[in-house]
Amino acid sequence: MKRFVVLALVLLSVVGAALTATASTEGKLLIWADELRTTVVTDLAKEFTAKYKVPVEVQELGFGDIRDQLAVAAPAGKGPDIIVGAHDWLGQLVTNGLIAPIDFAKQKDFSPVALNAFTWGKNLYGVPYAIESIGLFYNKNLVPNPPKTWDELLTIGRRISDKANKKYGFVIPQPDPYHTFPMMSAAGGYVFGTNPDGTLNPLDVGLNNQGAVRGLELLVQLIKEGIMPTGIDYPTMMSLFKEGRMGMIVTGPWAIAEIREAKVNYGFTKIPMIDGKAPRPFVGVQGFMISSFSKNKMLAKAFLNDYIATEATMNALFNKDPRPTAHLALAAKITDPDIIGTFESANAGIPMPAIPEMASVWTAWSNALELIFNGKMTPQKALDEAVVQIIATIKGQ
Amino acid sequence: MAEQGHRSIKRFFANFLNRFWRHALIWVCIVFALFPVVWIISASLDPANSISGQKLIPPNASFINFQRLFQSEQHPFGIWFLNTFKLCIVTATLVVLITSLAAYAFSRLRFKGRRSGLFAILLIQMFPQMLAMVAIYLIVFMLGEYIPALGLDTHAGLILVYLGGAMGANVWLLKGFFDTIPKSLEESAMIDGATHFQIFWRIILPLARPILVVVFFLQFMATYSEFVIARVLLADTNNLTMAVGLQTFIADQYAKRWGVFAAAALIGALPIVILYWFLQKHLVSGLTRGAVKG
Amino acid sequence: MKKAAHSTDTYNTNHAGRQPVKAGLMITKIILLGLLNALALWAIPILWGDSQWILLGVLVIATAGIDYAFLSKKALPLRFMLPGLLFMMIMVIFPIGYTVYVAFTNFGTGHILTKAQAVDQYTHRYLLQENLPVYTPEYYTDNAGQFAVLLTDPDGRQFVGYEQTLYSLAESPLELVDEDGDGVFDKIGNLGRLGGLEVFSYLGQFEKLVFQYDDHLDNRTDVYLKMRSMDQFASYVPQFEYSAASDTLTDLEDGTAYRVLDGSFVSDSGETLDVGFRTTVGWRNFTSLLTNKRIAGPFWQVFSWTIVWAILSVVTTFALGLLLAVLLNDAKLKLRGLYRVLLIIPYTLPAFISALIWRGMFNTEVGLINNVLGMSIPWLQDPFWAKVALIIVNLWLGFPYMMIISLGALQSIPTDLYEAATVDGASGWHQFWKITFPLLLVSLAPLLIASFAFNFNNFSVIYLVTEGRPAIAGALTPTGATDILITYTYRLAFEGGSGGRYGLASAVSILIFLIVGTISWFNFRFTGALEEVNDNG
Repeated sequence: MKRFVVLALVLLSVVGAALTATASTEGKLLIWADELRTTVVTDLAKEFTAKYKVPVEVQELGFGDIRDQLAVAAPAGKGPDIIVGAHDWLGQLVTNGLIAPIDFAKQKDFSPVALNAFTWGKNLYGVPYAIESIGLFYNKNLVPNPPKTWDELLTIGRRISDKANKKYGFVIPQPDPYHTFPMMSAAGGYVFGTNPDGTLNPLDVGLNNQGAVRGLELLVQLIKEGIMPTGIDYPTMMSLFKEGRMGMIVTGPWAIAEIREAKVNYGFTKIPMIDGKAPRPFVGVQGFMISSFSKNKMLAKAFLNDYIATEATMNALFNKDPRPTAHLALAAKITDPDIIGTFESANAGIPMPAIPEMASVWTAWSNALELIFNGKMTPQKALDEAVVQIIATIKGQ
Repeated sequence: MAEQGHRSIKRFFANFLNRFWRHALIWVCIVFALFPVVWIISASLDPANSISGQKLIPPNASFINFQRLFQSEQHPFGIWFLNTFKLCIVTATLVVLITSLAAYAFSRLRFKGRRSGLFAILLIQMFPQMLAMVAIYLIVFMLGEYIPALGLDTHAGLILVYLGGAMGANVWLLKGFFDTIPKSLEESAMIDGATHFQIFWRIILPLARPILVVVFFLQFMATYSEFVIARVLLADTNNLTMAVGLQTFIADQYAKRWGVFAAAALIGALPIVILYWFLQKHLVSGLTRGAVKG
Repeated sequence: MKKAAHSTDTYNTNHAGRQPVKAGLMITKIILLGLLNALALWAIPILWGDSQWILLGVLVIATAGIDYAFLSKKALPLRFMLPGLLFMMIMVIFPIGYTVYVAFTNFGTGHILTKAQAVDQYTHRYLLQENLPVYTPEYYTDNAGQFAVLLTDPDGRQFVGYEQTLYSLAESPLELVDEDGDGVFDKIGNLGRLGGLEVFSYLGQFEKLVFQYDDHLDNRTDVYLKMRSMDQFASYVPQFEYSAASDTLTDLEDGTAYRVLDGSFVSDSGETLDVGFRTTVGWRNFTSLLTNKRIAGPFWQVFSWTIVWAILSVVTTFALGLLLAVLLNDAKLKLRGLYRVLLIIPYTLPAFISALIWRGMFNTEVGLINNVLGMSIPWLQDPFWAKVALIIVNLWLGFPYMMIISLGALQSIPTDLYEAATVDGASGWHQFWKITFPLLLVSLAPLLIASFAFNFNNFSVIYLVTEGRPAIAGALTPTGATDILITYTYRLAFEGGSGGRYGLASAVSILIFLIVGTISWFNFRFTGALEEVNDNG
């Protein structure tokens, strides 16, 4: 009996609500931001609403979820107007038809490198706010003066390392292409070569050239000498550094906050020169993009131009999360040596390739690194194999 | 006399050993079970966000991660907590009802396609669901167009999705238990003219309490830890479940905030442990001879 | 048990009034079913009108199912299963059907949108004509869905834009009124002027306005005026024209025609436009999987490990879970409540964090396990040890589940069986193997088979603990020693080409389902899980 009633009620509501139409989202801005950006953007949204009487809603999503869920929600008409994201999503988002070009009035206020990273074809697709890349963190108690060259790094490493007491000179997360790339790029390694028109050529993979091999040979030497432990993933690397067992690590400005919390007497600088050449880390740029399914592109543009692309907002974002800002005037005022260190690293860097083919690169690359670090293969052989795998994968079959 | 004394000593000793090895074995397992948990506790106390650290007691240990959790305006942890338990209790209760109904039919009624039906419900749940996300999103979206209360970003819609996964191993677990309940009771009720539903409700369910408790708890846990579907369907911060909300702490590729995550995971685990503590009282055999004769 | 006895009593006392109750029930049943059908009949045309075929199908099947279940005497079993089946149909079977559909499409990176959405994006691409003048807009609305703009060009000429047409002031169908005489029109017809910030609320509507330029300038009829920014309307020409008849997009700048090919617009010279759409591609995803050398190579290696992994996962977790359940089921055991609770703790914590903790403990050089053992076992770096580590972590994650279901199933074994056995002098060990284990297996075998299938596809544990590593040297495609079928094949789908090939991944899902389904079917046949159950009839 009860079930009848429940069933009938359920079906009643099915039909009863059949005429309720979806509310149009015109005249209301929806922003998807990740955890760090949400608070800052929420405050701005309140100001915007107060001034223009336009409701703005900020929804917090995991950083990677923003990209993945946009592909599901936007074509269904449920997506946001503005998203926060990274420039290397661009290839995927543009070819999926998910983001719209931005007519951005304040380009001159922003770093050309950052704007360039958010440019696809002829169009600009994002308002950048932060540029980041990795560098060398060192524990000043163990390494009073950071190495300028790889030879100095070796000397310091040999002095600190004491395997019996689980103390080491230097480590990078393994196998992690992103953190290994600077060593490979210093002497000429690259991921994708460029076509004459400046676009990337996914079939020209330079991860097994002389420079790339040279970088890995240096890392293998560190392992052989007991300076660098193997099988260390990112969290383990961070623990070792925070516990003072590690002289130097390679990572990015996101780690500053926790290293400070751990009260490590640290410094942050460029990765030392290899054979007289500067390592070139990947540069990542983060920014705001507009969904191509937005019904409020003008409003979104107004919000980005008038509220996001201002020095005050950029400063708020910077205070929340000290990643080097893409705003030129603000960047000029920064005195924090850590941030200046990141700037230096980023200026020497290479933008992370944004073409969708990048998806084919990571696993083959990290497998090669793993085989090399575990001593199963020589750098040359492992990288040769990885490049063959990458090209086969990109061709799709 | 002497021999008897000797025997009782021997028995006492055997008894002691017998008990001792049981406890010893269990304690070994407890150490295995709790060892990593100690590290999670350690991570939750470490303001510097260390995980898999080398030191069990972190330097500068503090409760800052717990404080951050409850003081954050951005992350209404308390609301997530309540949302989660609301969802878990409603889903688990409905699943117990739905699956025990089905299990009754499979156990007590004879019909064509019974065997294949049983096999089919298990088989269907074996389909790799990784790509079903888009379809689930679409159907909940469409439902929401007509019944907003069941649409995207509603708990009712999410519960609906979870109920879809109810039929499966649970039905087998219940059916296996129902099969062992002797039919003598029902037969007499049947003679008295009871309908199948009355037999199900008044005889089978009370006798099957231990397994209902098990299914309830399993479904509760499944709902508690589910985040793949929930994070696609739920959007508003105040609507999130704990499993989805916690993802935001570890969403960044490198700058994962394990300290806060660990603190939240521990707080979330506590009520479940308490729940199990209460539920396990019902985990006693309902099938004593008394019941069979009753 | 008391309740059960009580309920039969209650039933007996009701005996006399049974017939009228039944008749009343019957009437209510018919009324409710009638109501339900009436509602369904009312909803069908609405859903039909909205082309909501899926919901329509669900509604029709659900209504028909309910009608059949409650009207046919033979359908008694269906009444009990209906709620579960309906939910399963909507939330499990429909998604499976959708996955099957996707397997026959090119859905994936570059092919996310429908063709209509893609065409819509191209036909709404405009090129800004910077050499043509820009206009200053004034905005008007009646707050009831009517919008108009008044555009002023640099020479001071004014135009009214209303309902997709641009009129000179003289031609304007609506009267322009300057109420206060300040030289600014306050009204166009009954549309009032929006001052200052009021425009923002309507920006979404105004940005949709596009006016064909007609012959007002240079005799160009292809120029459109639309909003560039809040305070500017500018001249644009469309970049593409779509012809439905020939199914081609034409680039209006240079006349290149782009024809439809496999979900992309491709020119004769082979140039592909950036945004593609999804379309059906027949069996291509399946054939490319089956003929793929990169799959054939490591397939058997990966497959055999998948089987070993699934079997070991079930056996280890079940063995430990059952052992603990038997120990903890002893009512005489002191502290058993506490023990049970302590032992389910691994189950209550998110696998993300516990798997990571385990990874740290397994580290060869600095990990706790090697430190305690005083050895340097290459956990996670050597294929064999990585597999051992995976099994250990999975045992930790999985034994509480097995313990819980075993504890539940143990309650179904009548205690008198044990009493009889004890009288016969059977030892505990003997009792377990002769009585407990066979009876338990009756109800648990199907769950173990389900658990086998679950572990066969246990993507998340593999990813959390080893990511499929360590790498296998000399593989044609990135392969790891702990890769199971699903991690390996999904990688092909998500890391090949330009990534995110959902069509291919769906085909993979279907093939894996066929494999798991077949294995499970054999499992059922040979463990007799299905037969045993049947004998209980």
